Amino acid sequence: MAKESSMALPEFLGKAELLKQGAEARVYRAEFLGKPTIVKERFQKHYRHPVLDEKLTHRRTVQEVRSILRCRRAGISAPVVYFVDYTSHCIFLEEIMGSLTVRDHIISTQKSDSCPELELERLAQRVGQILAKMHDEDVIHGDLTTSNMLLRRSPEDGESDLILIDFGLSYISALPEDKGVDLYVLEKAFLSTHPNTEALFEKLLKSYAAASKKSSAVIKKLDEVRLRGRKRSMVG
Amino acid sequence: MQLTRELELYPDHSVTQMLFKELKNAAELRQKAVEGKINGALINPTMLLNPFQVLVAANKAVHLQKIGKMKTRSLFSEIIFNLSPTNNISEAFKKFGISDGDDSVLVVLVHNKDESQLLSDITAKVNGRQVPVEDVSSLSDLAKIKKLYKVTPQEEKCGTLLDAVVCRMATKDVM
Repeated sequence: MAKESSMALPEFLGKAELLKQGAEARVYRAEFLGKPTIVKERFQKHYRHPVLDEKLTHRRTVQEVRSILRCRRAGISAPVVYFVDYTSHCIFLEEIMGSLTVRDHIISTQKSDSCPELELERLAQRVGQILAKMHDEDVIHGDLTTSNMLLRRSPEDGESDLILIDFGLSYISALPEDKGVDLYVLEKAFLSTHPNTEALFEKLLKSYAAASKKSSAVIKKLDEVRLRGRKRSMVG
Repeated sequence: MQLTRELELYPDHSVTQMLFKELKNAAELRQKAVEGKINGALINPTMLLNPFQVLVAANKAVHLQKIGKMKTRSLFSEIIFNLSPTNNISEAFKKFGISDGDDSVLVVLVHNKDESQLLSDITAKVNGRQVPVEDVSSLSDLAKIKKLYKVTPQEEKCGTLLDAVVCRMATKDVM
């Protein structure tokens, strides 16, 4: 009688290339079923009560996967999900090849381009449009930063694809407040990563407002949230 | 001709796909499959785009079998069920399993290293001409596939049809 083969996930991950270790998950790169794959492993948190940990980790995994499919259905580029292992909370995703984070692209464009404004304004316009589409689908990304947006060179068309990644904190919500906070998170991350880009971010918001059907309520909430933040006076 | 791939997560298991055209005994094969006499899954290749799609379904089936969480009764029916975008088992069999009048079939086998006996068993039972598995894309009924998987036009702009199909297969249990 052949020995019962057990799951080789630990060995598989052991041989894979560890790309990132965060507080929440480890991200690996490997080949899976013949395709270059990213594996996101939400590992056990031993500082949490085990029952709570299981519930939370499972819920986050499910939300991430749902948000990705929801975005793709609406025509927003996000990595393809190949396989989800709910026992070890691993998501096997398409590795986006030949890509650059928007963060790195902005930084390099600012350094090298003689006239960066045109390029960056076009980028801000596209990001605003894609976020408008996402929010119109009631998907809240939850961790919008320029490191969570990828640009992939498109061989034929010329303009690169803009892809959203890392839906780990995402969820579904129709509330303008949640969308406003999503944009606020991006604003904070954007301005701290890319100094002196207030005007550029304004262009992003204008593009968002023009592209989204429900934007006025969201922008209103964004203004309110801005007044709330750290080191802000709550004097009405 | 046929395509064999070892599953990275279950290295004792390999998946072999064999494609046959000019099939003459679809009804007999289907009957044998129902009786459990065929050691493989018999799939309607017009619903397939690419061998990768089958690998994704087979990987998930083996995984669920190992953890005892299959939705159907056998590994082979589970592979067929995993191809479907819905959670309705009988609909999956109707759409993805072979029907009596079919003139082509893709056979999926799951085995460990030594498979030569299995392959010859299958070629003996199937009355048809074996062709390279990669030819499956020439048999794809794109319109039927787009309709069944409910692929939106905007989705096709941000990825291939195969991307849309595989994503749904991988995530249908939580949608």
